[in-house]
Amino acid sequence: MLPIISLMILIALIGAIVTLFTKTKEQARMIALATSVVTLIGALYMFFRFDSESPMLQFVDSFNWIPSLGVTYTVGVDGISMPLVLLTAIVVPLVVLYSWNESKDPGKFYAMILATYAGVIGVFTSMDFFLFYVFWELSIIPMFFMINMWGGPEKGYASIKFLLYTHVASLVMLLGIFAMYFGTLFQTGIATFDIPTLLAQYQLIESDLARTMIFIALLIGFIVKMPAVPFHSWLPHAYVQAPTAGTILMAAIMSKMGAYALFRFILPMLPFTGSTDLMVSILAALGVLSIIYGAFLALAQDDLKRMVAFSSVSHMGFVTLGAMAFVPLSVSGAMFQMFSHGLITCLMFMSIGAIQVMTGTRLISELGGLAQKMPKLAFLMVAGFMAYLGLPGFSGFIAEFTVLNFSYISLPSYVIAAIFAIVITAAYHLWALQRAMFGVFNEKLGDIHDISNLQTFSMAVFVLLALYFGLNPSPVMDMIITNAEQIVGLMAVAGV
Amino acid sequence: MNIGDIAFLIPLLPALAFVVTLFFGKKMYSGGALLPIGAIGASFIISLLITINLLQNPDQVIHQSVHWFAVFNLGILIDPLAAVMLTMVSFVSLLIHIYAIGYMEHDPSKPRYFAETSLFTAAMLGVVLSDNILQMFIFWELVGLCSYLLIGFWYQKPSAAAAAKKAFLTTRVGDIMFLAGIIILFASMFQAFNGEIPEGVYLLQFSEMFNSIDALSGMTATIFGMEVGHLTLIALLFFGGAVGKSGQFPLHVWLPDAMEGPTTVSALIHAATMVTAGVYLVARTFPMFLAAPDALLVVAYIGGFTALFAATMGLVMNDIKRVLAYSTVSQLGYMVLGLGMGAAVGLEAIGVSVFHLINHAFFKALLFLCAGSVIHAVGTQDMRQMGGLGKAMPVTAVTMLIASLALAGFGIPGTAVGTSGFFSKDAIIETAFVFGEHTHDWIPYIFAILAALLTSIYIFRLFFMTFSGKSRSKTKAHESPSIMTVPLMILAAFSLLFGALTIKPFINFMEQTFENNVISLNIEHLATLGNYNLVQEHGHEPLLILWLPVIVAVAGLVISYLLYYKQVIDISKVVSRQNPVYRLLYNRYYQHRILTELLATRIVYETISLSADFFDRKFIDSIVDGTGKVTMSTGNVLRRIQTGVIQNYVTAVIAGVGLLIVLLKLIVEVL
Repeated sequence: MLPIISLMILIALIGAIVTLFTKTKEQARMIALATSVVTLIGALYMFFRFDSESPMLQFVDSFNWIPSLGVTYTVGVDGISMPLVLLTAIVVPLVVLYSWNESKDPGKFYAMILATYAGVIGVFTSMDFFLFYVFWELSIIPMFFMINMWGGPEKGYASIKFLLYTHVASLVMLLGIFAMYFGTLFQTGIATFDIPTLLAQYQLIESDLARTMIFIALLIGFIVKMPAVPFHSWLPHAYVQAPTAGTILMAAIMSKMGAYALFRFILPMLPFTGSTDLMVSILAALGVLSIIYGAFLALAQDDLKRMVAFSSVSHMGFVTLGAMAFVPLSVSGAMFQMFSHGLITCLMFMSIGAIQVMTGTRLISELGGLAQKMPKLAFLMVAGFMAYLGLPGFSGFIAEFTVLNFSYISLPSYVIAAIFAIVITAAYHLWALQRAMFGVFNEKLGDIHDISNLQTFSMAVFVLLALYFGLNPSPVMDMIITNAEQIVGLMAVAGV
Repeated sequence: MNIGDIAFLIPLLPALAFVVTLFFGKKMYSGGALLPIGAIGASFIISLLITINLLQNPDQVIHQSVHWFAVFNLGILIDPLAAVMLTMVSFVSLLIHIYAIGYMEHDPSKPRYFAETSLFTAAMLGVVLSDNILQMFIFWELVGLCSYLLIGFWYQKPSAAAAAKKAFLTTRVGDIMFLAGIIILFASMFQAFNGEIPEGVYLLQFSEMFNSIDALSGMTATIFGMEVGHLTLIALLFFGGAVGKSGQFPLHVWLPDAMEGPTTVSALIHAATMVTAGVYLVARTFPMFLAAPDALLVVAYIGGFTALFAATMGLVMNDIKRVLAYSTVSQLGYMVLGLGMGAAVGLEAIGVSVFHLINHAFFKALLFLCAGSVIHAVGTQDMRQMGGLGKAMPVTAVTMLIASLALAGFGIPGTAVGTSGFFSKDAIIETAFVFGEHTHDWIPYIFAILAALLTSIYIFRLFFMTFSGKSRSKTKAHESPSIMTVPLMILAAFSLLFGALTIKPFINFMEQTFENNVISLNIEHLATLGNYNLVQEHGHEPLLILWLPVIVAVAGLVISYLLYYKQVIDISKVVSRQNPVYRLLYNRYYQHRILTELLATRIVYETISLSADFFDRKFIDSIVDGTGKVTMSTGNVLRRIQTGVIQNYVTAVIAGVGLLIVLLKLIVEVL
C-alpha cells in the first residue's frame, strides 16, 4: 500500500523547496496550488477509507531512523488526528487561492505556507516523540519568517515574541520528553521514543513528583501553543501582525497542534499524575477562564482582527473544558470543536483580510455601511459571524453544544459559568457587524468594490463546509467518538 | 400513501424555496415571490390534510425519527397541538406573502426579502413539528436568526441595524436559559438512567422526557441555599426561553424596537408566529410544568403582569406599529397567563391558551397588515400625521375595525355571537376567575381584567386617531391594490368567525395532545407531583363575571370615543412632558436607559470589558515583555564574562559539567 502520509509530507516539503526557487509569481502559485491539491486528494482518500469503528492507528508507515537512540520514523492516523489532517489539507489550498495575488516575494511566501503545512501534518501524524518534536519546530520557523517578512507595521516585535514565547515553551516540553525517555530507559532498559510505549511506561514511574513534573513540562509546551489564558499574550500580536494567510494558518491549524497534544498526551497521562483532581480543576478553570475572558476582551476591541484573535482564544477554551470533563462525548465535542473552529476561523480572518485590503483599515470605528458596497462579502461575513457565535445549523453549534451538554455531567458549575459567555460572544459579533457592515456608508472610505471571485470561492467553500458538518456531523464525529471512548476507557481502568 | 409520510415536506419546501429565491430571485417575476408562495401553499395543504386526519383519530399522531449523531435524533411529531400550529403558521404566512407582493413592490431587495421570509417560515414550521427538544432549539435559534435579518432588512438605517442587534441579544438571554434547561434536563435524565443510555433511546425526545418525569421529580438541587427540584429548575429555564422569545417582562424590550422591519415582517414574525413560539414551548412541555411545584405560578404571574404592563405603554405611543407591538406583548401575556392557569384547570389551560394564540394570530396579523396598508398610503407611521383615512380607504378601515373589535373582545356572553378574540380572551379571563375562586389568589384575574380595559382604550385610540376626524396628512391617501386588500378580507373573516365556530371542538382537540399512541400521560398524577390541586368540574360563573370583560371593553371604547373622537377634554393637557405618569409611560419605564445605556454600555462594555482589556495589555503582556527585557539585560551583563582568557572558560566548563553530574544524579535518584 502507498505510504500516503509520508508522501503528503514529502510532497509538501518538495513543493516548498521548489517554490522557494521559482522566478515568477505565476510559477510559484501554480506549484503551491498543485502541491496542496495533490495532498488534499491524499487526505480525502484517507478520510473516505478510514475505519471509524477502530481506535487503532491506520495508514501506518514506519522504519528505524536512529536505532542507537531508539528513534523511529513512525506516522499514522487515528480518530484524533484524521479530522485535523483533513482540516489542514482543506485549509491550505484555499489559503493559497485566497492569497492568489501575493506579489511581495511570492516564491518565498508560498514556500513558507507549504513548509508550515508539512510541519503541521507531521505533528498530527508522528507516533514517535522525537519526530514529533522535529515537526513541531519545523512548523514554527516558517511561521516566524511569514510574520517577520510579510507582516504589518510591528512585524519585528510580533515575530520575535511569537518565536521566543512558543520556543521557550517547546524547550520545556522537550525536557519533559527527555525525562519520559530516560525514565523508560532506566526502568525497562529499552531506549525508545515510541509514543504509545512512553505513555504506557509513564504510569510506572515511581515518584509522584517526577510524574507531576513531566506532566507540567509537557502541558506548558501545549497550552502556550493553544493558547489558554493566561499564556496567550503572544497571540494578539502574532495574529494581528501576520499577513492574512499566516493568521489563518496559525489560528485554524497551528493552534490545533497544542490542542491535539492535549488529547494525544495529556489525557492519557492525566490519571497518573500525582494530583489528578487538582490538575483537572486547574485546567477546567483555565478553559472556562479562556472562554469568558476571551469574550470580554473581544468585546473591548476596535480592531476587527484583534477581536477575532481573542474570540479564537475564547472558542479554544471549549476544547480545554470538554477535554477535562472526561466524559466520552464531552471529549468528542472538544475534538469536534477543533475541527469546526478550524473551518470557521478561516472565514473570519478571510473577511477581515478582505476589508483591510479594500479599505486600508481594520478599525471598526473607521468603517461603516460596507454591506452596501460589498454585498458578497457582507453575505459571507454574516454567515461566518453567525457560525462563529454558535448558531445552530453550523458546525460550531454541534461542537459547543456537545461540550457543554456532556461536560455538565462531571463539571456542572464550570459549564454554567461558560454558558453566560455565550451572550457576550453574540454581543461582540453582532455589535461589530452593526458598526462595520450596516448603517450609513462611511464616505471617507472612498470608492471601494466587492471581493474577487477567487476570494468569494474560498470563503463560500468554508461556509458550505461549516454548514455541512453542522447538519451532518457524523462522518467526523463517529471516528472521534471511537477514540474518545478509548481514552476515557483507559481512565476508567485506572479507577478515576 | 399516508399523508403523514410526506410530513417532512412541510418545512423542507419553504427551505428549498429560500435557496432558489436567494440566488435566482432577481431573474424571476416579482423578485421570486411566487416560489415561496407556492411552497408555503403546499405546506399549508399538507398541514391541513394532516389536521383533518387527526381530527378524526386524535390518538393516531404522526411520529417519525432517525438517528442524527452521537445520542441525538431528528424527528417529526405531529399531534393535535402541532397540527393546529402548523396549519395556522402556514396559512398566515401564505396570506402575508401574497400581501407582500403588493407591499414590497418597489423595494429593490425583494429577492432577499422573500428568501428570508421563506426561510423563516421553514424554521417556524420546524419548531412546531420537532419531536425532540434539541431539534426544537435548533429551529428556535433559526427563527431568531431570520428575525434578526428581517428586522435589519433595511440595514442602511442605523436604527434598524441597532434594533436587529437588540432583538437578537435580548432573546439570546432567554435562549441561554433554554439551553441551560436542556443541558440540566439531559444530565438529570442521564443520572436517572444510571449513565447507561440504551441503544435507540433518545433522551431529549418529548416522549422520553415525559416518561422520566417520575424519576426527575425526586431530584433536588441547592441553589443559593434554596432547595429547588430539578423539574422546577428545568421548567423555569425553559420558561426563560419563552420569556425571551415571546416578549414577556422583563425581556419584552426588543419587541417594540423590532418594528423597524417591514410591516409584513412585523405581522408575520412579531405578531402571528415567532413570538408565539415561547407559548408553544410551554404548551409542548406542559406535563413537565404540571409536575414541577411552583413553576406554573411563576408562569401565571409573569404572564398576567406582562399583559397589564405592556398595555399601559400601548396607551401613549404615537407610532401606529409600536401601539400594535405593545398590544402583541400584552396579548402574549394573556396566553402565558392562560398556561399558568393550568395550576387550577390542568390540561384545559393549553386549550384555552392555544385557542387565543390562533385567534390572536388572525386578528393581530390583520391589524398589522391594515397598519401596513395605511403606512403604504400615507408614508408615515406617526398617527399624529394621519386621521380621516376612513373615507379614502374603506376596506382597510372596515377590516381594521373588525380586528380592533376582536382584539378588544366584543361579543355577547352566553350566545354564539362574538368576535374570535371575545371567545378566546374571555376563556382565559374565566379560567383566571376559576383559579381565583379555587385558590383565593385573585391577582391574575385582576391583572387580566385591568389589561382588558386598557386594551380596549388603546386600540380604539389608534382607530380614531387613524381613521376618523380631519386628515392631518400631506399626501393624498388611496386604497391599497386588491393583492393587499384580499388577504385583509380573508383575515377579517377569520377574526369574526373562527372563535364562534370552533371553540368547543378546538379545546377538546387540544386536550387530546397528551393522550395518544406516542405519549400517554396520567395528568392527575402529574399534578399531584407538582402539588397542584386541580378543579374537577367548574360550573357556570355568575352572570356579572361573564359580562365583566365585555363591560370593560365597552367602557374602553366609550372612553376612547369621548377623548379621541368627540374630544370632550383637551387631551394635550394630559399628554405633556410635565405629567410624570405620561413621561414614565412615554419613556417606556426608562427601560432603554436602564438596560441599554446602563447595563450593556456602562457595566458590561465600559466597566468589565474595557478594564479586562486594560489588565491584559498592561499586566499580563507586561509580565511577558518584562521577562524578555530582564533576559536581555542579563545577557548584556553576562557578555562581560566573555573575557577571552582560556583559564576562565576552563573553570566554567568544569563547574558546568560538575553541576550537570549532580543534576543527573539527582534525577536518577528521584526516578
